[in-house]
Amino acid sequence: MDETELAVMRVADGVYGPQLRALVEADLAATWAEPDLDPSRAPSARFPAGTE
Amino acid sequence: MSHPQDLSLREQAAAVAAGELDPGELLDATFARIEERDAALNSVVVRFPDEARRMLSEAPRGPLRGVPVVVKDMFRLPWYAPTDGAPGEAAPAGESAVYRRLRDAGAVIAGIGQCHFWGAGSTGHISAWGPCGNPWNPAHCAGGSSGGSASAVGARLVAAAVGTDGGGSVRLPAAYCGVTGMKVTFGAIETEGYTHGYSDMGAIGPLCRDAADARLFCEVLTGRALNRGDGRPLRVGVARDPWWANLDPEIERACDAAIDAAGWERVELSLAGAEHQQAAALVCLTVQSLPMLRPEDLAEADPVLRALTKFELTMTPVIVYQAARIRSLLRRAAADAFTRCDVLAWPTVPAPAPPIENPTVELPSGRAPADPGNLRQTGMGNLTGMPGISVPVGLHSSGLPMALQLQGPWGEEARLFDAAEHLEQATGREFVDADPGSRETGGRAQHQDAGLEAPRSYTSRS
Repeated sequence: MDETELAVMRVADGVYGPQLRALVEADLAATWAEPDLDPSRAPSARFPAGTE
Repeated sequence: MSHPQDLSLREQAAAVAAGELDPGELLDATFARIEERDAALNSVVVRFPDEARRMLSEAPRGPLRGVPVVVKDMFRLPWYAPTDGAPGEAAPAGESAVYRRLRDAGAVIAGIGQCHFWGAGSTGHISAWGPCGNPWNPAHCAGGSSGGSASAVGARLVAAAVGTDGGGSVRLPAAYCGVTGMKVTFGAIETEGYTHGYSDMGAIGPLCRDAADARLFCEVLTGRALNRGDGRPLRVGVARDPWWANLDPEIERACDAAIDAAGWERVELSLAGAEHQQAAALVCLTVQSLPMLRPEDLAEADPVLRALTKFELTMTPVIVYQAARIRSLLRRAAADAFTRCDVLAWPTVPAPAPPIENPTVELPSGRAPADPGNLRQTGMGNLTGMPGISVPVGLHSSGLPMALQLQGPWGEEARLFDAAEHLEQATGREFVDADPGSRETGGRAQHQDAGLEAPRSYTSRS
């Protein structure tokens, strides 16, 4: 990795890093990822509202 | 008579069908206009004079018989291998589903629209084809990654172009170039032969000058009728945080004024998970695209994109699962929102198109790269899969277009076209009928004054 790449990566971390770290740290333990996610339609009514 | 490319898509199709416009003359005039105007833009980077004439000679009497269109550099054609805006071929030549839809409708593919490198950017200033200029000021970005498609329509080189949208790549360049762009519901247009068809974030979409043209083109691409309804009595969901925050003030005012002009009922709401949607969109896009990259792709990549890719490679499994949770939360929140409103509305982009030489934008929070703010405005549509349309709603004091984004429930493209057509009428069609080529201080005149070297352009490589 050269200095230019490192510089770009630092800029990227400055722009996206805080949000990515906030996402990692978010308390989503009660939120399920849809097991049958199909973006062509609305989420299944059987799927919990996301916060149960 | 005016130039036939000043006619709308539906006018061109109707005139050809009625025998009032010779499709061969239309095609000749189209290539002449591309030749005349595109040196300053670099939007149609490969041109197909021979293949287009062959398509025309074999064109069935479909709804777009004899009408020239442009296709983004992400679709296989029988005579062309798409590049994704990078060196080399991203897929071999062959028939894509989009090609078959266009062929069967009688349309004629005049050329290939420029694409941001790998389709991985919202500005269009990085591409193996060179940067793509904005028809309102070619020294500014056309947007990405479907910048060539948007610029070609905005400059009236063609009346319709196909784009793709994995993180906003139809809606964002549509907003920058002052045209109408629709990201359909995920899967509503078949993705066979689309180089990013592996992704469940990406969808295909039409770019046209107004909503009626986009409806017609979308009917061709989806193969289903999108019947016209009443766009007046709509409830519009306005989620202020984060989509109405940190905007260029003129854009915020123009979008607010457009909703007022439409007379729509406003429903203020908030969406659970919205504070993490931008990060989740970035993670989902990254996770789906990185495995497709070969080591030689990275070695040949633009240095900035190579460095960004290495940054993305630092993501951990934990964040991938967190992003999946946010995605599910947002999908549920959107479904719940549509029980209280008919469409969601917020600005398509936070600021007008930045200069190619320095693709950063001025926001209330300060000067920033254009990509993050753009992804914040459009990533929700890709995460959820719901359709969205970008509608021109004004011209910024810089002379560049401004746009409002409307998003609707899954499968409700027709509702969005209804809303967009009503919005056009409510604003007197001022912004969809605006012609950058006719502005004394805009378009090509500004580019000439800027003294920029024209982006490198290619003709057919076939």
